Amino acid sequence: MADEDFDALAAEYVLGTLTAEERDAVERLAAKDSGFAGRIAAWERRLGTLEAMVEPVEPPPELWSRIRERIAEADPEAALRLPEVVAAARNGAAGNVVVLARRVRRWRGIAVLTGAMAAALVLAAGIERYRPDLLPPDLRLPVETKVVETVVERVVEKVVEVPQPAPPPQGRFVAVLQRDAGAPAFLLTVDLDRRTLTVRRVTPPEAGKSHELWLVSDRFPAPRSLGLVGAGEFTRPPALAAYDAATINGATYAISLEPEGGSPTGAPTGPVLFTGKLVEAVPPPPRP
Amino acid sequence: MLPASGYKGCHRMLTPPELVWLLAAVAKGDEAAFARLYAATRAKLYGVVVRILRREDLADEVMQEAYLKIWHGAGQFDPLRASPITWMVAIARNRAIDLLRRRSEASIEEEPEAMEVATDSPDPLARRELNEEIQRLLACIGRLPPERQRLVLLAYYNGWSRDQLAAELETPVNTIKTWLRRSLLEIRECLDHG
Repeated sequence: MADEDFDALAAEYVLGTLTAEERDAVERLAAKDSGFAGRIAAWERRLGTLEAMVEPVEPPPELWSRIRERIAEADPEAALRLPEVVAAARNGAAGNVVVLARRVRRWRGIAVLTGAMAAALVLAAGIERYRPDLLPPDLRLPVETKVVETVVERVVEKVVEVPQPAPPPQGRFVAVLQRDAGAPAFLLTVDLDRRTLTVRRVTPPEAGKSHELWLVSDRFPAPRSLGLVGAGEFTRPPALAAYDAATINGATYAISLEPEGGSPTGAPTGPVLFTGKLVEAVPPPPRP
Repeated sequence: MLPASGYKGCHRMLTPPELVWLLAAVAKGDEAAFARLYAATRAKLYGVVVRILRREDLADEVMQEAYLKIWHGAGQFDPLRASPITWMVAIARNRAIDLLRRRSEASIEEEPEAMEVATDSPDPLARRELNEEIQRLLACIGRLPPERQRLVLLAYYNGWSRDQLAAELETPVNTIKTWLRRSLLEIRECLDHG
């Protein structure tokens, strides 16, 4: 098949006009061939925006409990996946983890709180990478979980008494740069393992001006430029390799509007339009 | 900072960064985040699948599968490659179309419980607040001849097969095949190269 044929096939798959047999064949091909899977993803991006015109329809209220049941069937421990705490156990606190696990199992009876509790456990365990202060208030844990959180905190304190320092952060992080509650203007994705930074432009470029990206860290007296954001959709500034993982992880990222070609002084001269911090986007694979 | 707002029971669509955050939390196994994600997206996903399946029981089944897949697959969501809602809609829509095609011998239209859902495609002009991406896509679709515009929109919104499209447009299925291919490649050309 010619290149064009593969692309047309991916397109028709996304549009939905293929037969059951053809759809199966496409899915098998996509599972084997990442290039072809990429074509499907590209078509999902091209055509996927059509969903914006579909009128929302409220599903029956009992659907949520059925979804929860399905998840419980497939994955009984779903609400309590705590890879970080388990990892700490390998460093010598195994006994405490068993106690914790037993207590946790008892707590699971409080069905309403289970999900929030799992989150509270992660939170209380002092996981460096989990930074709830970075979440907007809208997304933080509801107030009624505070009591549970305190109880859990006490138990977890014991578990995480391990001699070794916390492992360095790794994995993929994302920062959404926006102004106030406005729409996102730039999306940053950081691969900490490779020290690479990708900026996706969501807001259009301004004529005669440049958007410049800055790293703001309390380790430096002034913001450090990470370079200009190009006019295209994606930019990969090379400057991140110069910083260590903890700095990258803790920094605030900001975009200022500068004269064309960037700040003439090396410090932001124009208004800082958008800021954001990194949150973990793609966690490392769960430990066995 | 984002404004605090009650989400219970309402289906206000969250902004893309809010959904990205929720998906990241879901990838960690956070059930509370999953509940919020569901509350924010259920009506959009249900709207898409019920339009395609036109049966509540089937739509229900597809929604269960879709959210199960979202729960397990949230870690695979890549905010650089897709918007969160597009990603979720694609999961639900693919399941709906798979189910529809598998059942195609038993004609859904003739079954008694079939729901009344308008089969016309949503009218682009009647919608406001469309973002730049969809405006570009609609502009590109708008460059196609009228019958091929209808073809693409009916296929997307109603999940119709080539046979169903052929019947609706009273056009031989081979012509439909040719039109689909040509239309999609023209849309790609228009989107990618203006």
